Amino acid sequence: MTRHPIVIVALLLVALTAAAQTPAPVPASPQVPDAAQFVGPPKGVPLTGDALRERTDQVAALLRCPVCQGLAVADSKAEMAVNMKHQVNELLARGYTEDQILGYFELSYGQFVLLRPKFEGVNRLVWLLPIVAMVLGVAVVVFKMRKLGRGPVAEPAAAPVETVEDPYLARVRDLVGEGKK
Amino acid sequence: MNRTVLAIGLFIIVAIVGMLFLALGKDPQAIESPLIGRVAPSFALREVGTGTTIGVEQFRGKPVVLNFWATWCGPCWEEHPVLVSSARRMGSQVQFVGVVFQDTEDKIQRFLNDRGSAYPTLVDDAGKTAIAYGVGGVPETFFLNASGTIVAKHSGPISSDLLQANLMKAMQQ
Repeated sequence: MTRHPIVIVALLLVALTAAAQTPAPVPASPQVPDAAQFVGPPKGVPLTGDALRERTDQVAALLRCPVCQGLAVADSKAEMAVNMKHQVNELLARGYTEDQILGYFELSYGQFVLLRPKFEGVNRLVWLLPIVAMVLGVAVVVFKMRKLGRGPVAEPAAAPVETVEDPYLARVRDLVGEGKK
Repeated sequence: MNRTVLAIGLFIIVAIVGMLFLALGKDPQAIESPLIGRVAPSFALREVGTGTTIGVEQFRGKPVVLNFWATWCGPCWEEHPVLVSSARRMGSQVQFVGVVFQDTEDKIQRFLNDRGSAYPTLVDDAGKTAIAYGVGGVPETFFLNASGTIVAKHSGPISSDLLQANLMKAMQQ
């Protein structure tokens, strides 16, 4: 009988341990991952109608279709791209902003999914190199033009003095009558 | 001037060849998942065959192998026996879960009847779970540790060795 309290405590401990290990309750109906898990609640205004359609196309044009070769989600007919576009539409309808939607896809796929790379890290080269190349090109052209403009003016070359009569030329002159003058 | 032009040309050629050399050594499909190190996005999907809802969170407490696949995907057929035999062997220590997207339930059921099944297979109807996990092409396999954090991802058909190596990561972390 004296062991009863110990047994009860032991049973309680076992029950508590079992309860702690009990898996999370399963929802009764299917639930897909929600954007709120990634980017929190919507920060914008829910869109509808034409505004929603237009904005969906705009945002989908900023996302890369992950199963295509360099195509935007807006331009691809692949099922994955269609699903992504539907999700963009749904998120805009719920009031998510463009930044939040791009952030959501970036958190899943990485920056690979963004067709317009962010201005950060090595990505800066993508934005800066074309500008640097263009500035350098213009500088080289200006430099060359100035150099050409400053150079000595070339005098027209004097007509070559014929010292020795070419027999063939003399024959031609004879034929055209020039040699008889 | 000719030497300057030659030097600039050589520099450009060396830069392009160097970049190509570095890039050619990489697999363009192998993009590290930004989800690695983060808690796996939670979901609960319908199980093929039974129709019951199964959530990834209910498997907390042991490592999870989460495999995205489809019946129309050839490499998925290739890896299926590896996953089934591993699940049969390690079923008590590791939870295997299949998520099928862009597919129909009758085709999935027929595939499982023909080729065997040893773990729950769930249907991702609108592909939203695949999108949340950043799935580009199937098959892709995620390895979750006991606390539900994604510790590794493998794109393409998985071999027994790769499965073991990634599971070791999931069991250690």
